[in-house]
Amino acid sequence: MTAAADRARMDPQLMLLLELQDLRAQRKELAESEQAGQVESEHFHIDPTAAGQELDLKIAELEGELDPGVRARYERILPSRDRVVVPVINGVCYGCFVSIPTATAGDQESHTDVQGCEHCGSFIYILG
Amino acid sequence: MKLRQLFTLDGVNLELESESKDDILKELIQLLDLEEKSEAILFKTLKRRENLGSTGIGKGIAIPHCRSLVVNELRLAYGRKPGGVDFNAIDGEPVYNFFLIVAPPLEVSNQYLPVLGKIAQFAKDPDIPGKLTEMEDPQDFLDLLEDRAP
Repeated sequence: MTAAADRARMDPQLMLLLELQDLRAQRKELAESEQAGQVESEHFHIDPTAAGQELDLKIAELEGELDPGVRARYERILPSRDRVVVPVINGVCYGCFVSIPTATAGDQESHTDVQGCEHCGSFIYILG
Repeated sequence: MKLRQLFTLDGVNLELESESKDDILKELIQLLDLEEKSEAILFKTLKRRENLGSTGIGKGIAIPHCRSLVVNELRLAYGRKPGGVDFNAIDGEPVYNFFLIVAPPLEVSNQYLPVLGKIAQFAKDPDIPGKLTEMEDPQDFLDLLEDRAP
């Protein structure tokens, strides 16, 4: 595998979690923000209710693709946290704002494993 | 904050080369200068949004947008495809001008939706498509925003 391909490689489960997180953010915005629904319907002719239902279906489909262990943890985190996956920026977990171990934060080159914050339990994505 | 302040010269490309909707999205994402893994995630999220309904608002303009964990602040880019491309726009016409907007899931300043609205408003000004076509270099785009955008 080339160095470039290796850099682009990411654990498929982490990829799924990130997709889920982004879809959940869209869903939450459509459900909770009147302004979001207004902008989407006025400028883009989107029906917020139908879009919300479509997102729910896609979220359920992707959740079904999670490995059992990852899914169990995902479902444990979900009820108590807005975001299941949080970014780590400059070594700080943006779920709990606690510094994470250097060895974990330094793994940004690979993202080959699904990792969690030891403090808050959220799945993490090293952003920088 | 005015739209002009949210764009940089690096985030403007007046000569997009791609010929398909997917490739245009990828080319726009490259303007944000993210790492490769983040680009792949962002592409998927933008595609999911497009699947809900095209962000091509008509008159040759599209505004692909989403929230994504892969950015830590509001990021914008502009691309122009001189020959136009089929983007499944609302009016069925080719799209020439693309405004990309990506915001993190949580923003302290909460600018994402107001900025999305401002760009849609700017793009719907009847003079704007013509002005965008006339631009010769990226600085012209920033100047146009300075003059005409809210």
